Amino acid sequence: MTTRRQFIAGMLAAGLGPVPTWADAGSPAFLSAAKTASGDHVLVGLRPDLSEAFRIPLPTRGHAAAAHPNRPEAVGFARRPGTFALVIDCRSGQVAARMDAPTGRHFYGHGTFSRDGDLLFTTENDYEAARGVIGVWDVTRGYQRIAEFSSGGVGPHEMVLMPDGETLVIANGGIETHPDSGRAKLNIPMMRPNLSYCRLEGTVLDRVEPDSTMRRNSIRHLAVRPDGTVIFGMQWQGEAEQIVPLAGTHRLQEPLRLLEAPDQVWRDLSGYVGSVAASQSGDRVAVTSPRGNRVVEFDADGTFTTVSVHQDVCGLAGTDEGFVATTGNGLITSLTGQTMQQSELAFDNHLLRL
Amino acid sequence: MFQRLALVISFALATGTATAEPDLARLNTDAVNGHILPLVDSFQSAASALQTAAEDNCEATSPALVAAFHDAVDAWTRMSHLRFGPTEKDDRAFAIAFWPDSRGKTPKELTVLLKSDEPAFMDATSFAEVSIAARGVYALEFLLFDARVQSVGTAEASCHLIQAIARDIARNADAIATDWASYAELILSPSETGPYRNDAEAAQEFYKALSTGLQFTSDTRLGRPLGTFEKPRAARAELRRSGRSLRQVRLSLEGTRDLALILAQDAPALQAQLDALYMVAFEVADGLDDPVLAGVADPQGRLRVEILQMSVDQIRSLIGAELGPALGVAAGFNALDGD
Repeated sequence: MTTRRQFIAGMLAAGLGPVPTWADAGSPAFLSAAKTASGDHVLVGLRPDLSEAFRIPLPTRGHAAAAHPNRPEAVGFARRPGTFALVIDCRSGQVAARMDAPTGRHFYGHGTFSRDGDLLFTTENDYEAARGVIGVWDVTRGYQRIAEFSSGGVGPHEMVLMPDGETLVIANGGIETHPDSGRAKLNIPMMRPNLSYCRLEGTVLDRVEPDSTMRRNSIRHLAVRPDGTVIFGMQWQGEAEQIVPLAGTHRLQEPLRLLEAPDQVWRDLSGYVGSVAASQSGDRVAVTSPRGNRVVEFDADGTFTTVSVHQDVCGLAGTDEGFVATTGNGLITSLTGQTMQQSELAFDNHLLRL
Repeated sequence: MFQRLALVISFALATGTATAEPDLARLNTDAVNGHILPLVDSFQSAASALQTAAEDNCEATSPALVAAFHDAVDAWTRMSHLRFGPTEKDDRAFAIAFWPDSRGKTPKELTVLLKSDEPAFMDATSFAEVSIAARGVYALEFLLFDARVQSVGTAEASCHLIQAIARDIARNADAIATDWASYAELILSPSETGPYRNDAEAAQEFYKALSTGLQFTSDTRLGRPLGTFEKPRAARAELRRSGRSLRQVRLSLEGTRDLALILAQDAPALQAQLDALYMVAFEVADGLDDPVLAGVADPQGRLRVEILQMSVDQIRSLIGAELGPALGVAAGFNALDGD
């Protein structure tokens, strides 16, 4: 006969007890990978006031993180061409699960959860075929690999879930790499970047390519506004002397639109955008360039508004008021300068808003 | 040899480098006049000689043509790390050197052209419209050394294509040399409106060329044939049909060594360390006796190629750790990432 105590213990073991939430991990507002002064790699949670909520050791350099929508679980991806990702319980700092890329695949460093948090999607390289794939992982079964589908291009990098919760938008950078050749770019003269939209089971809804003059502009980073407008950031692989826009916007079934800014503003970004974000209200978008040490902001129409200078700035997330940016020199700043923290951490490429 | 390698490496890592502010304007001048322009000139002459040889005798068996091919590839490889400015305009460098060819496009495109023998080969302007996979020295290697490609089409078609490719290489070499004459000015007299705003930006370009060139040699020239232990890829060795794979490594190292020593000239201790590491790499390369890196497929031969790759990586680490900071061009944590 089951006693009440045994019943409760059984229920807890089955995961039917009080469900942990992000509040149990100190209510962080942001996540970022970082390197400590002693050279160790960590995953960091930041509170709304930009103070540190937690710091969890990672075995290797992280690139981006994906956060579970409800549970205090983060997935840390190793840097390209990493073949594993760790699911971290942000309450205990323990590794809750480890995801290994299937044979012949490696991660690109980005991923996103479905809205209910039951599925995780990851951008991956099927490197023998030079084909981008999206890996599908079943969160409810301990992050088991259950499927994959084409990313719609070569070299998928960032991918985000559209506000409808039913569509993924994928930045296919167009650049072929193979782990045997390290990070060498193998197809620059032939590269064809695109932006692809697909359903969660892989059906392609739309695929848009930049025009022929912009084929060397690798679409890498994405953000989406509440109204479904996608913001993309690019990295220029063509002649360095040519000054080109490095970001644009797109709405499903419409043509790509490049953001407009004076040539000098684009030139100062050294051909490289590292992160893009939209403010929570959607009325502003911004891009960072660690090579140009700059954050450039645009209004809702895609018109250039301001540029601010921060050494090695890359991480960027939208907030209610605007944006928070992080740098490789440990600065965490709301761009208005109202809130600012200086840490001894070197923040890695991406700042994730929870 | 291995002991020597270990010794030099520990020496290199143990010695600190206290250096005075480098005179970047002078370093840049030396890099342009003492390194880049001579290399660009040599390639222009070698490419012009290749064109002449192909016009004199376009048979793949012509010793003069084969010799001219090797000379031109030698000259190109020594400057293959100089991938900025004039080489990148109109995709000239890709048209000269389309490699690695990960999808096997070069033999495919050549086959199509050989079967058609279109008059397209005849004039330079229309040949410049041909896919870059079928142009340049890597395509020419197939026509001169690959039995399968040689068996396609008529002898006449093959002759026309060899001549068209040689002409196209010479045309690109001329364009690069012509443009470098004026581009040198832009580097040596930096300005707000030019591609380089100050001496530091120009020095950074040379530093980037140096480190990217070394990375290409390690990751691509050596990394591609090495593949993995379980799956070595000897067939991916660069220019293996003409027996040049190891030579490519050696010559590319000669090219980057010249530039490295110029950039380190205001830091004599560092310059000596770099020189020592290059000497080790040359010794390893010269002792390899494996011109097409075929040894990657057996454990012992593989180890030797891996040691060569390690010795190149030692140079790369020293350049990243010491030369970048000495020049004041070290990139930030995120700026360096490239993702």
